[in-house]
Amino acid sequence: MDRFQRITFYILILIAGAAWIILSANTVSQADSIQAPQTGFLAPDFTLKTATGETYTLSGLKGQAVLVNLWATWCPPCRAEMPAIEKMYQEYKSQGFVVLSVNSTVQDNPLDIAPFIEEYGLTFPILLDETGDVTRAYQIRSLPSSYFIDRRGIISEVVIGGPMSEALLRTRIEEALK
Amino acid sequence: MLTAFQNLFAPPRHMILLVVAAWLGLTLAEKRTEQHGITKDDLNNLVFFALLAFIIGGRISYVLQNLAAFTKGPLGIISANPDLFDPTGAVAAGAIAALIYGQRKKLNFWNTLDALTPFLAVLVIGSGLSHLASGTFFGLPTDIPWGIQLWNAQRHPTQIYETLASLLTFGLLWLSKPNPRPGVFFLYFAALTSLSQLIIQAFRADGATLSNGYHQGQIIAWVTLAVCFILLETRLSNKRVMKVTE
Repeated sequence: MDRFQRITFYILILIAGAAWIILSANTVSQADSIQAPQTGFLAPDFTLKTATGETYTLSGLKGQAVLVNLWATWCPPCRAEMPAIEKMYQEYKSQGFVVLSVNSTVQDNPLDIAPFIEEYGLTFPILLDETGDVTRAYQIRSLPSSYFIDRRGIISEVVIGGPMSEALLRTRIEEALK
Repeated sequence: MLTAFQNLFAPPRHMILLVVAAWLGLTLAEKRTEQHGITKDDLNNLVFFALLAFIIGGRISYVLQNLAAFTKGPLGIISANPDLFDPTGAVAAGAIAALIYGQRKKLNFWNTLDALTPFLAVLVIGSGLSHLASGTFFGLPTDIPWGIQLWNAQRHPTQIYETLASLLTFGLLWLSKPNPRPGVFFLYFAALTSLSQLIIQAFRADGATLSNGYHQGQIIAWVTLAVCFILLETRLSNKRVMKVTE
């Protein structure tokens, strides 16, 4: 190819590229309509009970920033991050921050849960996923898994694995509270 | 098969794919680095310092952007959380470290980029596979027969498009005859990668869009492609820029 042919080729590619950008422009936002455990989607809704029988529904917490944290007592990083979650809960709850701590009871020993709560002095609600429905809805492959949900009910950040540090929790909570 | 792959490399294990790609890419780049007038030691050292700066720079950039969170708990700066990371800052720090190393060792800029090209090309393949494993960079809902079930919808397999396009780019470059003009090899890679991103970004559902609906990623890819064409033409039309080792 000589210089003229090359430049013609470049220009044609760039014109075709510009046309493709215009043709593929898309204004549809899908975050408002589909529930999925991924950043940008509506958080999958659930209703669960605590060991003491109180019922919590995620969609009932719209207007507040929520951390859904899935865990099990046998999981070391889940244990390690609990003190930081409790500390952040105390620090931010007055600003509209809620923690829904979901024990994946379907893969845990229910008898270990109460001593666990006592050991770490947890004051946020501990929900029991006895049927595994929430574990499945959130497509959990690793524990702990944490979902930061903004005031509109949309997942603003997902953290798979742990333990989460206070700094990480702070940045993610402040983002969800915006 | 896709589910098995996603289960095997579910986050945070998807990072393994990037590490393997980096190792494989560097091994392949080493095989041809002498052709570009860069020694294996220089290539390895450059990648080492760039990766080190990438990791440290990504953390520092994140800390600087969230200073308030870290002043309350400064120990968080050295926390093992990989999520405390800013990819843009990391890339900038890695590039600066590579530039400094290249300057100090008096490495030719274009020859160095050519030597790094196989490493970068394999890294892009690893990035596509890592996106597939983690479910990020997902596609728009569709009813095409090759759509994949992801995030509660049948979607364009954008991560597979990305992986195939980068495999094709790597194959074309690896099998192509060496060009005597430094920089052309790298610019072909950059142009082909930009072109594939320009096409694929149209099918992405999670990419940033401007208020008028245009995909930001496509616009960046188009501008990068235009810059690559200008630089390519400059390199190809300049008869004096022959390879140092030729």
